[in-house]
Amino acid sequence: MTFLNPLLALGALAFLIPLAIHVLNRSRFKTVEWGAMHLLESVIKVNHRRFRLDQLILLLVRCLIPVLLALCIARPLLTGSKTMNPNTPVSLLVVLDTSYSMEAMERGGSKLKKAIASAKELVASVNKGSDVYVLQLGDQPVPILDQPVFDASAVVRRLDQVEGGYGGCDISAAMERAIATIDKMSNAHRELVIISDFQKADWQEILEGNAAELRAALDNLKVKPVLTFMPVGETVPGNVSIQSIAFPAKAIGAGEPHTYRVDIHNHGAAQKENARVILRVNGKEESISQVSLAANGSTQVLFTHAFSQPGSHVVQAEVVCDDPLEFDNRFSVSMTIWDKLKVLLVDGDPSPLPLKSETDFINVALTPFSLGRFQLSDLIETETVEDRKLTTEKIDSAKVIVLANVSKLKEAEKVALVSFVEKGGVLFVFPGNRIDLKWYRESLFSAGNGILPAPYVIQKGKQEDSPHKIVAQHFDHPSLSFFNERSNGDLSDAEITRWYQMKEPETSSSNELRKSTSVLARLDNADPFLMECSYGKGVTIQMATTCDADWTDLPLKPVFLPLIQQLVTTTASRLVPPRNMTTGEPAVAMLKGIEEPQTMTVRTPAGSERVIQTSLVDGDQVATYRSTIQPGVYSFSGPDKNINFAIHTDRSESSLELLDQEDVERMVVATGGTTAASSVDYLANDQLRRNGSEIWKYLLAGFLAFLFLEIVLQQRFSRARA
Amino acid sequence: MPHVSDVIRAEDIGKFKNLQMLARQVVEGFCSGLHRSPHKGFSVEFKEHRSYVPGDDIRTIDWKLFGKTDRLYIREYEEETNLRCTILLDSSGSMSYQGSRSKGVSKHRYAVATAASLAHLMLQQQDSVGLVTFDKAIRNYIPPRAQPKHLTPIINELQVQKPKHETELGSVFETIEAKIHRRGLVIILSDLFGDVEQLMKSFARMRHANHEIIVFQILDPDELDFPFRQWTQFTCLEQDSNRHLIDPAQVRKSYLEKLEEFREQLARGCSRHRISLVPMTTDQPFAETLAAYLALRRRTS
Repeated sequence: MTFLNPLLALGALAFLIPLAIHVLNRSRFKTVEWGAMHLLESVIKVNHRRFRLDQLILLLVRCLIPVLLALCIARPLLTGSKTMNPNTPVSLLVVLDTSYSMEAMERGGSKLKKAIASAKELVASVNKGSDVYVLQLGDQPVPILDQPVFDASAVVRRLDQVEGGYGGCDISAAMERAIATIDKMSNAHRELVIISDFQKADWQEILEGNAAELRAALDNLKVKPVLTFMPVGETVPGNVSIQSIAFPAKAIGAGEPHTYRVDIHNHGAAQKENARVILRVNGKEESISQVSLAANGSTQVLFTHAFSQPGSHVVQAEVVCDDPLEFDNRFSVSMTIWDKLKVLLVDGDPSPLPLKSETDFINVALTPFSLGRFQLSDLIETETVEDRKLTTEKIDSAKVIVLANVSKLKEAEKVALVSFVEKGGVLFVFPGNRIDLKWYRESLFSAGNGILPAPYVIQKGKQEDSPHKIVAQHFDHPSLSFFNERSNGDLSDAEITRWYQMKEPETSSSNELRKSTSVLARLDNADPFLMECSYGKGVTIQMATTCDADWTDLPLKPVFLPLIQQLVTTTASRLVPPRNMTTGEPAVAMLKGIEEPQTMTVRTPAGSERVIQTSLVDGDQVATYRSTIQPGVYSFSGPDKNINFAIHTDRSESSLELLDQEDVERMVVATGGTTAASSVDYLANDQLRRNGSEIWKYLLAGFLAFLFLEIVLQQRFSRARA
Repeated sequence: MPHVSDVIRAEDIGKFKNLQMLARQVVEGFCSGLHRSPHKGFSVEFKEHRSYVPGDDIRTIDWKLFGKTDRLYIREYEEETNLRCTILLDSSGSMSYQGSRSKGVSKHRYAVATAASLAHLMLQQQDSVGLVTFDKAIRNYIPPRAQPKHLTPIINELQVQKPKHETELGSVFETIEAKIHRRGLVIILSDLFGDVEQLMKSFARMRHANHEIIVFQILDPDELDFPFRQWTQFTCLEQDSNRHLIDPAQVRKSYLEKLEEFREQLARGCSRHRISLVPMTTDQPFAETLAAYLALRRRTS
């Protein structure tokens, strides 16, 4: 305990005054010769002890009165065992929840505004010499300033600029970073304050298991910080969110109509009527639909749209209804519309007769509209070339190359083909009666280090044997997942009478370029039917049988067309860097065939613009923007190119249910922290921890109480003085 | 030669003269009325006629009535006696208390004055008056006589009394009761501080011997309201070694309760034995108190 006015505490010596009066009274007595002694004596005899006690109590009370008064004026502070100078600087680390659930509106504004206001008060209240670090809690932890700073006012200014939109909430990552940072902060007294809405979806993991780890991590620090949880806001019901937009995974060409499925979820317990769902393409309203949303239910809305122009487009869906959280009412996806996909068909068995040539069926399957003289245009443009006439130039200009029953290639073309795959080309290999097994095994497979997924080992199947079928399993590969829906066609319809057995490689490749090898589909005798391997940036897909009707009736089946279309378009579109990602993944734009470095401007969802320089990677200019910490659309604009990236975040934040008081308490206990209801509460706690509590009010109350007590006691002990 | 004025102050003598006039009537009324003798004898007051039975004195036969009725009747008369009054004066130490409000009159002095005036009154009335002074034992006993000059030894005795020693009222009264053979009026002047139970026993014995008892309880106003404020050492007037240093404020309430209890006990006991208990305080003029009491007695008798 310390005193603010220690000298005044000496006033407590005034207790000597009543003591002196008491002693003096006793010594300066009067003598009376008394007659009625028998009455007096009986009274004294019975009450002697009580009289002594009464006198003692009264004396004590009288002595305490000046003591209490003096202590009250001296303003004592209760400091507990830890005493600290009130001006001691601290290291303050504030973890500020900026996940999108904080943008929910409640009485008196959004939770985020309240949280920021609290954070500002905390930061502004630190003593001189304190270092401050504010970490925003989002999909990724983002500091307000890169390093802890000693200028609290700078942090306050930056806090003023904080806006939400940091997506989900990765608490573990944030705590890891917070702990690592606070360990390096400079002051001996460290404070870790977490300001959050403590949403159930986010904090359940801490509550269920990680609390002990968090506590251990804090305990293991050199200087253990004081952990405080500051809950902000309350549960606001009735949120509606767009969970996702399902869009075609394959390459899409201009003019092709495609369906976009918008998933809407109502998190509230009340039905929402007449919610409008708007589809916007590149910011322009295209279509509106009206739905009613059942309580705690999901609804899907379908929109069909055909892009007129190739290029990068943004499709955005918005649900318009009365709900507390705006952020999750919109969802954007980036769509890439292909101009033309050039496919080079290398025919190993050409024929002038219709459908007799090796590549005729596949040609029809790839360009059905052109050959059928439909109005609609094909995405794919094919060029057929005999294997003898294949040149390296032709290889280089193609996007997709199909080797159909090609016996073997010359060395120069083979090298060009390997380089083509390595740079991101797609190669389809179909066998036939003409192929040179040895060349395929040695030049293309080359002991598991080449571009071919597997060597052709032996031709199997005879004309008179019963044909084999493709096993209609659940396909995981994006090209084939289309057929998981039976109505889209059944691969097991086709009968395969002859095929090459492909030997799956047993050891992993020693070539860095050669990555994964997988079997996409099998025959019913367990032989691989379709295999795939990535090589460099490209991919090779290898089939066990022919692409004409010689060994199988697959090309004659209706399923052949979607199979080939899916394989080609999906695989081809997969090979450009993805444009729909989650927060934190870098946005990479590839500018093919440009030698000179380019300057690109990135427009972030928050509206700010950054200029980035492209760099040369494997002959292409690549623009990379890594800090995709906020979900939304990032637009790259270059000299003659515009590329959009849609960054998504986890929608579990949309459920605005918070941890209840009990759970928060449980978490606080498990992590060894404390709670503060508000910044005022926190500052009061801090004051208490730091300075101790001022108790003069209690002393004053005690003083008055004792004054009153003295009067009462005196009255009681000597009822009605004469 | 001692005179009444030695024990009664000059201003009290004045009052007393008035009182004497008053008392003459009062005492006549109350003394003769109260102390009527149950014995029949020669007197002027006729009581009743009764049939003669052999053995009766023939002198008592009413011959006039015999002449009229031819039957023998006896005339019976009321016997009238003089009042035999014994004044018991408490001269114990506690009687010497003298409070600030009693104008320098101690309880004992007050009692002496009261006793003197009573004696004076009685003797003027031709009643016989005796005096017993006592503390823990009888100090002096002056038997009752009716001669006017008997006042002198009484005054004499009253003058020489100095209050001291302890009191043992119960035992003293028993001894006194043994000394007063003929029934009469017993006037007690005391503060009655002592064991009430024992006192009541001796009172009962006196009443049994057909003594009329009047108790003038003389108290100092200080003893009634305990007005002390500062720390005080109380020294016992009867035992020097007995002293207590106390804060009077603390004791006051209990003391007053005790006093009230004591007085109530006395009052109850006295009323049970048909004893007149007259409280007197030394700040009140005794003559007035006395007069008021006597007046009351006359009214109630």
